[in-house]
Amino acid sequence: MNVSAKDISFVGVMTALCIASNYALIGVPNVKFMDLFVFISGYLAGSLSGMAVGFLTWLVYGTLNPYGFNLPTLAATSIGETIYGFAGGLTAKWRLIPPSNPPIAMTVRAYWETNLKLGILGFLLTFTYDLFTNVVTGVTFGIPLVLCIVQGVPYTAAHEVSNFFFFLAGGKVLINAIRKAVWKGGES
Amino acid sequence: MAQKVGWMWVSVGLLCISLLSITLSAYYYAEYMRYVGLCNEAQNELRKYDRYIFVDILVDYGNGTKDWSNRTLVVRGADLLNATRIVSEVEYTRGVYGAFVTRINGVGGAPNTYWLWYVWNSTSSSWDAGMVASDAYILNEGDVVAWIYTKF
Repeated sequence: MNVSAKDISFVGVMTALCIASNYALIGVPNVKFMDLFVFISGYLAGSLSGMAVGFLTWLVYGTLNPYGFNLPTLAATSIGETIYGFAGGLTAKWRLIPPSNPPIAMTVRAYWETNLKLGILGFLLTFTYDLFTNVVTGVTFGIPLVLCIVQGVPYTAAHEVSNFFFFLAGGKVLINAIRKAVWKGGES
Repeated sequence: MAQKVGWMWVSVGLLCISLLSITLSAYYYAEYMRYVGLCNEAQNELRKYDRYIFVDILVDYGNGTKDWSNRTLVVRGADLLNATRIVSEVEYTRGVYGAFVTRINGVGGAPNTYWLWYVWNSTSSSWDAGMVASDAYILNEGDVVAWIYTKF
């Protein structure tokens, strides 16, 4: 495994971005840009880097959190968040989203199709993440699993729908913008 | 191949909508059941005191609009006027024979048209006209009463 200084810097910067945006949106439960940033980290720098961004973000945000600290929850969210980074890496590797740089190279239809695919991916990843964290919460606090999942629906629905729109509206734009800023015009 | 991939994304998109619908339905069903349980619990709690009765009240505006207030909880010994005031805005005047209802929920005052009340006779399966003023009729458990805006 070859980890360059550039990769480490990228992980550091993206983690800082995630943490800052999380604190900025602290008043809006379950609506965060973090998941999109972690996915993009994985997409641009590989699964491992993306997973590191997700894990490290929760390590800080979950420890210094005004809503309180709970070790099993922290472990669940830290591990759960890595799926965005992992999926981001796989998305790039399997070319699920057609690469385009500069974005003008795509037709308008292809551009929105790509955005829609990102939105769908964002929704499914969030659904998986929420299911996982709800199961862990249920087990930890001794709440029946079905009850735990059903009672959490308003929060998970907000999380999933908001992520759908964040991935839809911001996914491709941010991938192109960050790639351009970090890898000087798209050399990756 | 490209068409296959396109349909795969459509399927995955529909899966997302299904997942969201299923979880929201489950949530609202659970909430519905919870409130039904709470309502039953509250009704049972009230029954313990034996101070309340349930009555059904119909307000028929005479124009095809009928408002049913089923299982209205009223204090045992309450009269029809007070029970009606629980479910509607009632205006009335007091006369020699008792209360005379002039408007229910703002409807009333038309020439030769009056609010009359009836009680359901389950033996003859028909409405019996109220023979006394509404504030003189004491409700019984399970009474079905109707206010009908009648033109003469």
